[in-house]
Amino acid sequence: MNALLDVQGLHVEIPLSAGILKAVRDISLSVVRGRTLALVGESGCGKSLTALAVMDLLPKTAVRRTDRLIFDGQDLSGAKERRMADIRGNKMAMIFQEPMTSLNPCYTIGNQMEEALLRHRSVSRKEARDRAVFLLEKVGITAASSRLKQYPHQLSGGLRQRVMIAMGLMCGPPLLIADEPTTALDVTIQAQILSLLKDLQQEFDMGMILITHDLGIVARVADRVAVMYCGQVVETGDVTEIFENPLHPYTQGLMICIPVPGKTQRGQHLGSIPGRVPTPIGDLTGCTFRNRCDFVFGPCGNEVVGLREVSDGRAYRCLLSPENCARNSAGRPV
Amino acid sequence: MSDPLLQTKNLNKTYMLSEGLFRGKRPLKAVNGVSLEVEKGSVLGLVGESGCGKSTVAKLILGLEGLTSGRILFDGQEISKTGRREVARRIQPVFQDPYASLNPRKSISSIISLPLRVHKVGDRRSWNRKVEEIMDIVGLAPRLKQSFPNQLSGGQRQRVAVARALIMRPEIVICDEPTSALDVSVQAQILNLLIDLCKDLDLTYILISHDLAVVEHLASRVAVMYLGRIVEEADTEDLFEFPRHPYTKALLASVLSPQPRLGLPETHLGTTYPNPIDPPSGCTFHPRCPKATDLCKTAPPDPTFDGNRLVACHFPGPLH
Repeated sequence: MNALLDVQGLHVEIPLSAGILKAVRDISLSVVRGRTLALVGESGCGKSLTALAVMDLLPKTAVRRTDRLIFDGQDLSGAKERRMADIRGNKMAMIFQEPMTSLNPCYTIGNQMEEALLRHRSVSRKEARDRAVFLLEKVGITAASSRLKQYPHQLSGGLRQRVMIAMGLMCGPPLLIADEPTTALDVTIQAQILSLLKDLQQEFDMGMILITHDLGIVARVADRVAVMYCGQVVETGDVTEIFENPLHPYTQGLMICIPVPGKTQRGQHLGSIPGRVPTPIGDLTGCTFRNRCDFVFGPCGNEVVGLREVSDGRAYRCLLSPENCARNSAGRPV
Repeated sequence: MSDPLLQTKNLNKTYMLSEGLFRGKRPLKAVNGVSLEVEKGSVLGLVGESGCGKSTVAKLILGLEGLTSGRILFDGQEISKTGRREVARRIQPVFQDPYASLNPRKSISSIISLPLRVHKVGDRRSWNRKVEEIMDIVGLAPRLKQSFPNQLSGGQRQRVAVARALIMRPEIVICDEPTSALDVSVQAQILNLLIDLCKDLDLTYILISHDLAVVEHLASRVAVMYLGRIVEEADTEDLFEFPRHPYTKALLASVLSPQPRLGLPETHLGTTYPNPIDPPSGCTFHPRCPKATDLCKTAPPDPTFDGNRLVACHFPGPLH
């Protein structure tokens, strides 16, 4: 299948007074229409920056380098700001994490929604308004036309998040990037927003990048998963493979950290990953996970750890072969 | 059964919200007749959507908010009569966001020892010893004593918050979303710490969380709140295996456990959480309830007891 988005060798570096922060290191990913790629990892692992780098929305001080960035058949690796502005919101859209802070409090919902369509298409105000009403109804907002006159503060968190989604869909983008779209919401609403996104994805045949730290969401929504640690992809594969047979010690660690009803015993210790994520500044030879890894051995400190491909579309970044990093049912190394 | 360590009887908290300069005020019943019992050494989980009043219950017990009506008994004695300070000695909170709940201008040792200084327990030398002791218990390296919160990771900060809560050797610790601001791997570390402390220091917890997997893992008993009321309360196993209230069922169904192939659940709840100023008539859950009848629209259900299970519903599900 032809990839909608094909990124090879993406680097993001941020110069700081303490040295260069290598926030994203050599990331390659591809997204297919109608499918969802989940970027999973803990805070600071570079998942949001990866998305911003694709959108070319990085902070001014950050430097992006990429071997290849092909979107919808066009090479965007050196695209100028004007060209990107034509694509952003039009061909690729992003749903941000906090609907409280990413909507403009001074403009009505209608104003903010219509803006994208008026900017990118030659439509009349009325057509733009009709499209906004249509999409608000799609995301399950009742009395949509009266909502257009409301300001963000008049809406609840769940409604604001829905408005954000509808806004992202205004131009019918082939690629939607959703950065923690449900983190600010209650569990009961979370499931509904996610199924809504899935439905709309099928309907508009969108490719989706879902950024989250919640493994429950990943398991239920994603088709493919890329696990990130310290700026690198450490494991990638289909969602069932990642959850049923995690290969990288970090992915394995994440899986035993979460209480699962029926699997973990109440009041017993959960597995945990000791230590903390290193700051990716300065010399980064060897495996960045080695200080927290249960399977660490000599070469981890000085060898270049590349992605090992085990089968088509399934790879992990570790020096050990799968049988050498097996765990027992309690999560301890054997 | 022995006497419960903490008992609340018919707690009510009503806030008066201003509707504008000349329009007077309208009541918002944040907590509406909440009665709870917490046994010594147990963990009571309090769950519900945001705005259901679970944090307000915590504030009432801590004495941070005044009661509108009701009684809180600690060890059989009414708390309002013993005074704020005495309560604070025996009940301590751990808050959600360790980035916001620690004073950025104070050193770690000063943050942890603050309760000792407020209550004027011992002298400077004993404070120092106690701080070192408690830092050791919660797993903080002694070298961090003179550090400031911004030099610490999220997990370390939450350990500081736990240390501060424990330095007075309280009997009850109220944990309000103790891990929701933390990363997955750190969350497991803090949960393990809470489990250990509960056993080692003989603590009793009230655990407030919207993460039902965490509650199931830690709590021995769970109370589900909806719009200021408790709609169901039961031992953890019973509640998770046989939820009786339709709201509890929907809550449990919406948990996304990390199991691929299951897809997304359909909760049939709708998204409109009712406005607490203007709560629905009858059973406040009826507009979202799949089983609602005319009776539910008019008559609020009274809580009924079956053994040690409580449910407030006209048509509760089966016990087993």
